[in-house]
Amino acid sequence: MKKVKVSVLVSALFLFFGLSTNAQDASTVLKKMDDVMYSPKDMTGNNKIILIDKNGKEEIREATIQQKGTDKRIFRFTSPASQAGISVLSLPNDVMYLYLPAFGKERRIATSAKNQNFAGTDFSYDDMESVLFSIKYTPKLVKTEGNVYVLELTPVSEKSDYSKVMVQVNKTEFYPELMEYYDKGNTKVKEAKYTFKKIGNYWNAAEIEMTDLKKNHKTIMKMSEVEYDTGLSDDDFTVRKLKQ
Amino acid sequence: MEKLSRIIIKWKWIIVASVLALTIFFGYQTKFLTINSDILTSLPDDDPAASLYKEIGTQFGGNDMGMIVLESDNVFKTEILQHIKQITDSLRYTDGVSTVTSLTNILDIKSSEWGIEIGKLVDEYNLPVKQSDLDSLKNYTFSKEMYKGVIVSDDGTATAIIFTLLSDADKQAVAKEIKRKVENLNLPETLYFGGLPLMMNDINDLIISDIIWLIPIVFLVIAIILLISFQSFRGVLLPLLTAGISVVWTLGIMSVAGYELTIISNIIPVVLLAVGSAYTIHVLNSINHMALQDRKQALIKGVAYVIIPVILAAVTTATGFVSFVFGAYLTMIKDFGIFTAVGTIIALLLSIFFVPAMISALSMYRKKKTVEDTEKKPVLTHKILIPLTQTLFKHPKYTITAWAFILLVSIIGIFQIETSVNMADYFKRDNPTRVAEEVMQKKFGGSLPIFVVFEGDMQSPEVLQKMIETQRFMKEDPSIDVTQSVADLIEQMNDVMGEGKRIPDDKAKIEQLWFLLDGQDVMPQLVNDDLTKGVIQSKFASVDTKDIEAFTKKMNRFIEENQNEYCQIELTGMPSVYDKLNSSLLNSQRNSLLIAIGMVIFIVSAILRSVSKGVFAAIPVVATIIVLLGIMGITGIPLDIATVLVGSIALGIGIDYSIHIITGFNNHLLENGDAEKSIESVILLSGKAIIINVASVLAGFLVLLFSQIVPLQNFGLLIGISMIGSGFSALSLLPAILILANRKRKITANNH
Repeated sequence: MKKVKVSVLVSALFLFFGLSTNAQDASTVLKKMDDVMYSPKDMTGNNKIILIDKNGKEEIREATIQQKGTDKRIFRFTSPASQAGISVLSLPNDVMYLYLPAFGKERRIATSAKNQNFAGTDFSYDDMESVLFSIKYTPKLVKTEGNVYVLELTPVSEKSDYSKVMVQVNKTEFYPELMEYYDKGNTKVKEAKYTFKKIGNYWNAAEIEMTDLKKNHKTIMKMSEVEYDTGLSDDDFTVRKLKQ
Repeated sequence: MEKLSRIIIKWKWIIVASVLALTIFFGYQTKFLTINSDILTSLPDDDPAASLYKEIGTQFGGNDMGMIVLESDNVFKTEILQHIKQITDSLRYTDGVSTVTSLTNILDIKSSEWGIEIGKLVDEYNLPVKQSDLDSLKNYTFSKEMYKGVIVSDDGTATAIIFTLLSDADKQAVAKEIKRKVENLNLPETLYFGGLPLMMNDINDLIISDIIWLIPIVFLVIAIILLISFQSFRGVLLPLLTAGISVVWTLGIMSVAGYELTIISNIIPVVLLAVGSAYTIHVLNSINHMALQDRKQALIKGVAYVIIPVILAAVTTATGFVSFVFGAYLTMIKDFGIFTAVGTIIALLLSIFFVPAMISALSMYRKKKTVEDTEKKPVLTHKILIPLTQTLFKHPKYTITAWAFILLVSIIGIFQIETSVNMADYFKRDNPTRVAEEVMQKKFGGSLPIFVVFEGDMQSPEVLQKMIETQRFMKEDPSIDVTQSVADLIEQMNDVMGEGKRIPDDKAKIEQLWFLLDGQDVMPQLVNDDLTKGVIQSKFASVDTKDIEAFTKKMNRFIEENQNEYCQIELTGMPSVYDKLNSSLLNSQRNSLLIAIGMVIFIVSAILRSVSKGVFAAIPVVATIIVLLGIMGITGIPLDIATVLVGSIALGIGIDYSIHIITGFNNHLLENGDAEKSIESVILLSGKAIIINVASVLAGFLVLLFSQIVPLQNFGLLIGISMIGSGFSALSLLPAILILANRKRKITANNH
C-alpha cells in the first residue's frame, strides 16, 4: 500500500514540476513572440488588402501604414480611387480619428465595441490592436510539434469574444505561423496564417491571411516596402497630420 | 366485360405477384419521400410577384431570419436582461447561426459635435443593476427609432432576439436546435418563436403528427363501417388492402417523381383511404349479389357487371381532383390534385384486377351466404326510404320548392363568402406558431415581410433619395411602422460626418460614407454585392385582405409615378403574394368548379350515351355545391387553400349517387315501363347503397377534424356536409325532377 502511495506522490510531484516548467516555457515562448512582433520602434510600409468573399470574388484596397510603438498607427488608403485619401488614425485608449477627404473633415470615433470588423476586413478592432499577447492572454504549452510550439492562449478579460486562441510559434525565430480563434461555444471561428520575412534586424509579417470560417470570407494583408526605425515622432500621429 | 373478367381470373397469380412486387418497390421508395414545410416553394414561378418574392427573400436573407420574443411586465430589469443575454449567447454559439441581435448585444452609435461613439447599448458583461441606470436605459432605448418597436416593443413589455441563419445551413435542424436550447434554459418569462425557419419546423411537426394520427384513425373508422356493412373478414380486408396499396403506390410514385409531402398532400392517404375503398366495396357488393352456385362463375359475372359503373365512379372522382391542376395558384394544390387523381385510378385498377384475382387465388370466397340482415335494412327502408318515396310522390312540387328555397338562401350566403390567405390562420388558435405570430403582430408591427426592390446605382444620390421618399410614403400607411434601407444608414453616417441627417448630393461623399458601412452584418440584407440592387425592408401589420389590397394598389401607383430609367422599382413581399393568392382563390374556385362540372357532364353523357342524363346527373351535385358554398358564406368558414378544393371533390364523389339513381331508373324503366314504380324501386335499392356509401366516405373525411391544420379540419367538415348534401339531393331533388319530368311527358303523350 505504502509503495503505491509513494509512487503516486512521486508522479504527482513530477506532474507538478512538469506543469510548472511547462507554464514557464509557455510564457517565455509568448514573451519571445511579443518581442519579435513588437520590438521595432516604428514602421512604415505599403499595405495591400485583398478581400475574398465566399464566391471567390476579390476586392483590392491599398493603403500606406505608419506605426509607432504598439499603439499609434495611421492607415492612408490610396486605392480604389473612390476611397483614396481616406485615413484612419488610431491612438491609445480606443480612440480613432477618421478623415474623409470628400467631406474635408475628420471625426473622432471612440469604439468600445471591439468585436466589430475593421473597414470591411475580417480583422476585428480587437485583432488589429497591438496590445502584447502576454498581457492579453494566459498561455499554456499544449505540445511541441515539428518546428513549432503550440500554445493555448486564454484571454485574461472575460469580455473577449474568444474562449481561446491556439497559436503555433516558430521554434527557432519565435514568430507566429498560425492562430486559430475559438468562440465561447468552443467552435473555431477564425484562422490567421502568417508569413514572416526578415527585413533588416526585424521579422516582418509580410502576409497575413485571415479567414472568417463562419462567413467563409477571407482577408489577405500583404506588406511591401517596409522600413523600420526611421524615426517617426508623436507629431506624425496627430489629427493635423491625418488630413495631409 | 365477361371476357376481361375471365382473363383477370386466368392471370390471377401474375396479377397478385406483380401487385406485391410493385407494392414492395413503391413501399421502399416511400422511405425517400421528404416533407416540404416551406410554403414559399409552393408559390408559382410564373407569377412575377411570387417569384420576385422568392428571389429577393433568398438574396437579401429575410427568409433565413428568425425571432424569439421574450415577454414580461417590463423587460428593463437586471434579471430579464440577464436572461436575454443567456438566450443571445446560446444562439450565438449554435452551429448554422450567422448573426444574433438583441437588447444585450446591439450596437449603439451616439453622434455628437466632435464625432461618434460606437459602443454597445448595454454592456453585457456589466448589466445595469441600479434602478436609475435601468430607467435611463429604458428612456434612451425608447428615444431612438432604431430600437423602439424593433428590439423592444412600444410598451416595453416584450423584447425581440433576432437571428439570421447561414445560407448553407440545414435551416430546420438549426431551428429545432435553437428551440431546444432556448427551452432548456427554463426561463420564467413567456417566450415566442417566430420567423420562417421556426415556422417551417412547426409545420413539419404538424405534418408528421397528422400522418401518424390520422391514418390509423381513418383505417379504424373505415374498418368499422365495413364490418357493419359486410360482416365478413373479406369485406373488411380487401377494401382496406386495396386502398392501403393505392396509398403506398401513390406515395411511392410521388417519391420517384421527386415530389414532397406538403401541408396539403399529407392528407392524400386519408382521402385515398376514404375514396379508394369505395371501388372495392362496389366490386364486392356486385360479387355478393350474384347468387350463383358456381362461385367462380359468380365472381366472373359479378366483376363483369360492375366494371363500367366503377370506372365511371372513379373517373368522375379523379376528374374532380384533376380540375385543380387548371385552377389552382399554389403548386402544392396542383400536386395534391394530380396525385389524388393518380391514387384514385390506382384504387380503381386494383379493385378491378387485384380484388378478383385475390379472391380467386386465395379462395377468399364467402363461407356462407350471410343471413339477410333482418334489423338494419328494414330500419333504413321503413323509417327513411319508404316515407321518403311517399313524400316525394305526394308532393314532388313541394320538394322542388323546398330545394328552390334552400338554394335561394344559399345563393345569398355565397355572397358572404370570405377568403383567408393569412398563413397564421392555418394553425389552430392555441398553436404556438399562431400565438407567436399574433404576438409579433401586436408588439412588433407584424410579421409579413415587405420588400421594395430598387435597381440602379446604389451609390447615386438620386437613387438613395428615391428610397428615402419611398420609405416616407410607405410610413404614411397605418399598417407600416418601421422601414429600413441602406439610404437610412447613409443619412445617419452623413449626420456622423456633421452634415445633417440627409443624403449627400455628391456621389463622392456617398462612396466614402460607404467605407464606414462596408463589412457590417446588416449590409447583405440591404444591398447586393455589386451595388446594383437595394431593398427597403419593412413589415406589414395587418392581415386584413382589404388593407393589403389597398396598400398594394397605392404602392404600385407610387412606383409607377416614381421609377425611371436609372432607378427601377418593384414591390414584393407577403402582402403582394397574399393579394395574388386572394384573387386566385376565387378564380380557382370558379375555374375548377366549371371545369369539373363540364367534364363530369361530358363523361356521364358519353358513357350513358345521353346528354340529358348527363345534365340530370349533374343537378343534385350542382345544387349541393351551391348549398355548400352558401353554408361557407353563412357560417363564416373561409375559402382557403384547402376549402377551395371541397367543391370539385364533392362533385367528383357526389356525382356517383346521381349516376346510381339514373342508371337504376333506366334499368327499371326498361324492365317494367312504369316510371313511378321504377323510381320507387330505385330509391329503395340504390338508396340503401347510397346511404352506406355516404356514411363511409363521411366517416373517412370527418377524421380530418382531428387534423392539426385548420384548413384541413374545415375541409373534412365541408366534404362531410357535401356528402350528406349530394346523397340527400340524389334521393330527393333528382327523383322529384324525374317524377315531374315523367308526368309532364305523360300529360303531353296523353294530349296527343
